[in-house]
Amino acid sequence: MSDQTYATPVPQSSPPQRDYSAFDADLTGQAFNFQLFARLLRWLRPYRLTVAFSLLFILLAAGLAVMLPVVTGLVVIDNILRPESVSGEEPDFGMTELTYLISDVSGYTPLIAACILYLAMVTAQAGIMYLHRITLASSVLKALRDLRVDLFSTLEDKPSSFYDRVAVGRVMTRVTNDIESLNELLTGFGMLVGEFVPFFVALFLMGAISPSLTLIVLFAIPIAAVATYFFRMAMRDIFRLIRNSVSALNQYLQENLIGIQVVQLSGREGMNEEHYGRLNHDNRRFEFQAINYETLYHSFNESLASIAIGAIIWFGGGQVVQDEITLGAMILFIQLITMMIMPIVGLGEQFNVLYRAMASGERIFQAIDWDERLKEPEHPVELPPRLRGEIELRNVHFGYNKGEPVLKDVSFNIRPGEKLAIVGPTGSGKSTIIRLLARFYDFDDDMIFLDGIDLNQIRSRDLRRRIGVVLQDFHIFSGTVRDNIMLNNPDISPQQAEQAARTVNADGFIRQLADGYDTHLAERGQNLSQGQRQLLAFARVLAADPEILVLDEATASIDTATELVIQDALHKLTEGRSSIIIAHRLQTIQECDRILVLHHGVVREFGTHEELIKKQGIYYTLHELQFQDGAIAAELAGADTEEADSPVEQQADDDDDGTPPSMREPDSF
Amino acid sequence: MPNGHHSAQSAQYTANSPRRADATFRDLGHLQRLFPYLKRYAWPLTAVIFGFLLTRLFDAAVPLFLMHAVDSISEGNPSLLIPALGIIVTVICRYGVFVYARRLMRRIAIAVCYDLRKRLFTHVQRQGPAFFNKYPTGDIMSRAINDINLVRNVIAWGVVSIMTFLFSVSIAMVFMFYLSPALSLMVIWPLPIVAYVAFRMSRILFPYIREQMMAIGEVTSYVQENLNGIRTIQAMAQEEAEIKRFTEVSTKYADLVYRATKYRAIMNVIMPMMTTILPVIIIGYGGSLVLSDEISVGTFVAFFSYLLMLTGPVRMIGMSLSMLTMGAAGTARLCEIFDYEPEINDDLNAAVPDKIQGQLEIRDLTYTYPGASQKALTDISINIEPGETIAFLGRVGCGKSTILKSLVRLIDTPAGTVLLDGHDIRSYPLERLRKEITLILQDPFLFSDTLRLNVTYDDPSRQDRPIWAATDAASMSETIREFPLQLATIVGERGITLSGGQKQRATLARGLIRRAPVLAMDDCFSSVDTETEEEILSGLQNLRKGKTTLLISHRVSTVRHADRIFVIDEGRVVESGSHGELLRLGGYYADLEAVQSNQDQDRQRKVKLLHDLEDKQEAVVGGEG
Repeated sequence: MSDQTYATPVPQSSPPQRDYSAFDADLTGQAFNFQLFARLLRWLRPYRLTVAFSLLFILLAAGLAVMLPVVTGLVVIDNILRPESVSGEEPDFGMTELTYLISDVSGYTPLIAACILYLAMVTAQAGIMYLHRITLASSVLKALRDLRVDLFSTLEDKPSSFYDRVAVGRVMTRVTNDIESLNELLTGFGMLVGEFVPFFVALFLMGAISPSLTLIVLFAIPIAAVATYFFRMAMRDIFRLIRNSVSALNQYLQENLIGIQVVQLSGREGMNEEHYGRLNHDNRRFEFQAINYETLYHSFNESLASIAIGAIIWFGGGQVVQDEITLGAMILFIQLITMMIMPIVGLGEQFNVLYRAMASGERIFQAIDWDERLKEPEHPVELPPRLRGEIELRNVHFGYNKGEPVLKDVSFNIRPGEKLAIVGPTGSGKSTIIRLLARFYDFDDDMIFLDGIDLNQIRSRDLRRRIGVVLQDFHIFSGTVRDNIMLNNPDISPQQAEQAARTVNADGFIRQLADGYDTHLAERGQNLSQGQRQLLAFARVLAADPEILVLDEATASIDTATELVIQDALHKLTEGRSSIIIAHRLQTIQECDRILVLHHGVVREFGTHEELIKKQGIYYTLHELQFQDGAIAAELAGADTEEADSPVEQQADDDDDGTPPSMREPDSF
Repeated sequence: MPNGHHSAQSAQYTANSPRRADATFRDLGHLQRLFPYLKRYAWPLTAVIFGFLLTRLFDAAVPLFLMHAVDSISEGNPSLLIPALGIIVTVICRYGVFVYARRLMRRIAIAVCYDLRKRLFTHVQRQGPAFFNKYPTGDIMSRAINDINLVRNVIAWGVVSIMTFLFSVSIAMVFMFYLSPALSLMVIWPLPIVAYVAFRMSRILFPYIREQMMAIGEVTSYVQENLNGIRTIQAMAQEEAEIKRFTEVSTKYADLVYRATKYRAIMNVIMPMMTTILPVIIIGYGGSLVLSDEISVGTFVAFFSYLLMLTGPVRMIGMSLSMLTMGAAGTARLCEIFDYEPEINDDLNAAVPDKIQGQLEIRDLTYTYPGASQKALTDISINIEPGETIAFLGRVGCGKSTILKSLVRLIDTPAGTVLLDGHDIRSYPLERLRKEITLILQDPFLFSDTLRLNVTYDDPSRQDRPIWAATDAASMSETIREFPLQLATIVGERGITLSGGQKQRATLARGLIRRAPVLAMDDCFSSVDTETEEEILSGLQNLRKGKTTLLISHRVSTVRHADRIFVIDEGRVVESGSHGELLRLGGYYADLEAVQSNQDQDRQRKVKLLHDLEDKQEAVVGGEG
């Protein structure tokens, strides 16, 4: 089932009821899947000229490789050392004439001339092989780089509904390891071609010299092929068992290391050693089984070649005596046999690579073919250079899963330049509104409007350039502070970045860092405080200068001084911009023009501060409580968790809506 | 010991020992550390050596048969049966011996790795925190995977290829000299040069390989980071810029691989060219010897076969040696772990009581973490009577957790500073101590296994009744009953993800099930809501009647019911007494109480408000339906 998924296109229009488990499935395809290979070749097409040259070179080199024993066998032994036996009928591809020509021209003896010819041919062969290798490597590497970038590009476009359900690690290895094993496949394939070409040239040559002796050799080939086949069949399951047992060993060790304190406090050392011992034992058993086959096979085909040599001596020797062939031809045969058996040996050893590469190819194309994308308009509306900044939500119904509505009939509007605070308890759907405005998810037409234009009529990229979103768990990339503000956006200059930082009061702490704007931040910004991260997020969004701002205020506790700085920054940030703020602090809410109270996905109250106070409803009560709640919770729960930085997935508890917890990424906003 | 290197493969694996790709001949000495492991297989090893020697002798016999056949034909009186049968019989014998020896050698390699893995696991499990600070999980994993593999390669292939080299070269030379000393001399002199060049070139390749590994590491971390922050990138519409940058990163990688490939290709030009000199010598000099009747045509042909026997191993010598040096570096990295003695070893002679009352005494305990400049604890003296409930409170990093850790020797305190029932905790066997004093850690770690096995982690043979009793006490039973598989629910990586509070309650149950005379809870309620916490704590009061309980919390409401409360600041006890006493004292605790009780009231009001809202909502929805 799973090996077909990459080829099955998912109908565009049908609602996403996708089988994400396909991404976790252990793909084990066939040893050789021509369809997949053909598809892979498409990426080589831009470099087909290089590939063609590479193939031409390998043909030449292979031809020369076969000529070397011709020189020793037919020219040196027959013509030079045993001139009395020459019949002149052996197909030596003009090597004898060439030798004598060299001898005539240079004046050396034929023997020296043969040496010169031999040396020249080896040199030419090595040079051509070099050209073959680098042309092949160059085209394969470039093709795989393109494939890697193409794969990466499709991943960049996958919507949040995809990343909600597929672990990043699962996707990541496709861009790294899987592409690497394709490299192995393609270069290995080049090598295989390089071995099979001499195979056929040698076969042709042998047939021309002595059809009857060739039959003996041909008799050995099916035996070698059958041995290879059986080896492959026997090893197939064992390789899988070994792989599984090794990963079981590693997983067990890793988990034990991560939870070592629990292990030790529970006194489980002895029991765990026994368990690990059992896993270790299984692994050893499978490894032993594997080497039984491997060693049996390993030199079987080589021995076969030697046995064929014995047969050639017996039959060929008889033919030499009867003057049917020359001694040199017999020796040529002996030397060619090795050349014929080698590719079959190589094939047997390449099977492992082949399996791995095919599975990798399947995984890569599965990801490329996974056409989960945001709905983009067919005839997108071009946004005017300057937006008014009017947002309207009209009877918005939305849910992440069928039958689990998160927003129910939500309607409200923001006037140009207005600031709106959204208030509501955990699970009310506040963050969902932000996600919809940022177009992280698809929703129905005619629900959300920007300056009167249906959001679904705007390209998501255009939209996101105009709407700046500050997520609560703001992602810091490893890189300098400046990089984190600019985010590699070519439209932002370093000066603008610093200006933005100054505006949102981030300049002060940045300059106090070791290298100022060039200070290197670790991924997720572990070397910054919560407040500093928040200011950096402000600077980032300000530098991009969006016309509309959507902001999820951080809940974590911040000391009073920082709090004031952030309030001031927020004030500057929202100035003159239509803004939607999910607010946790009283101060923030009071700065806003209007307030929306959301509860269980329903708008409960909507109006100005005064209006809502007058109403004496939810907002009034919340206001009475002074909104201390978030700060307290953070102080109590959040303050001590810095140490708990284990590699084990940390569940974000601050999230609020219907996404099942098991499906969330730790750093989802 | 060199420190601070970063493994080329991945930045997350910090290596404390020599980098594998940098290994030199000086590291070869480390290989002797493998002798004890190999000694066990002394007889099989001897058999292997004889096996390989025999294999090479058989190999060397084949050209002799060939020579006889060719000569007999050439002289016009052919005797073909003996050479042909000789070759076939020799080859079959060689095959049998070779398979036997090769299989045996690889079995030895697998068996040694089995032993190493076992030793590593056992050794690591007995280590304390200092060890794990020095060797992070990623580092140990890298040793367990990559270094053990290197050792395996060095035994299975490295040693074999050195043996092959020695045997092939010496046997082929003997036979060649026997056939024609003059031609042999001419053929042999270039060999050392070939070997030297091969060796040099394989060394020169190292930096290229390392660069290539670093570049793939860069690609990996780029992709990983990008995908982790994908929402930020999409929200800022920076996908195109990212794709452009990724193209640069991948192009750089492709370029580096290309460079390494090119270098390898050059090597593949030079090596055959150098070895080509040998057949040319045979053709030229050997041919002239044939013409002058000094050697036969058969000898001429046999020399070609011996040449193959010689050049193969000589060309491989560079690779074999680098395999050895890398294996040696791997061995060194493993031995580094084996040489690290666990800090704590049981004192087998000390007499300790059979039954523990739960009396604890901390006497003038001062402790500094290794490598830290400041003391974590200063002059802590606390006496705890059996059955008391003691609470610790204080800022982040004040030393509360260190006190609890010192009780179960997760940190190793000086002798005589911590006593359980009047005996130094150092005189208890470690497993016994940790059974009598159960510490529940702050970080709720669950194994990716069933809930049942997680709760009964210390003793999987426990029955249902105590399990449910423990989950009841941890307020976890209701949650578990909601899962379709109940206790058989798999949690963690390969199962369902629990919320922070659920994880904390599950770890709590795992600790409570042990019913230890002393229970120490390190901030176990941080992700549990206040109501549930109250519920659990009041339950515990009954459950732990007569037993000693210690707990850490940030909340006054949690610690107020304790018999005594210790406020810790900068590693010292700054306030101590009952809730009432501390309030009267008017210090840190009293301040905290004032702030928190206000908040608690607010919180209660808010909960009530939300509750009311909920009711209203239902009324609205009900009305609509």
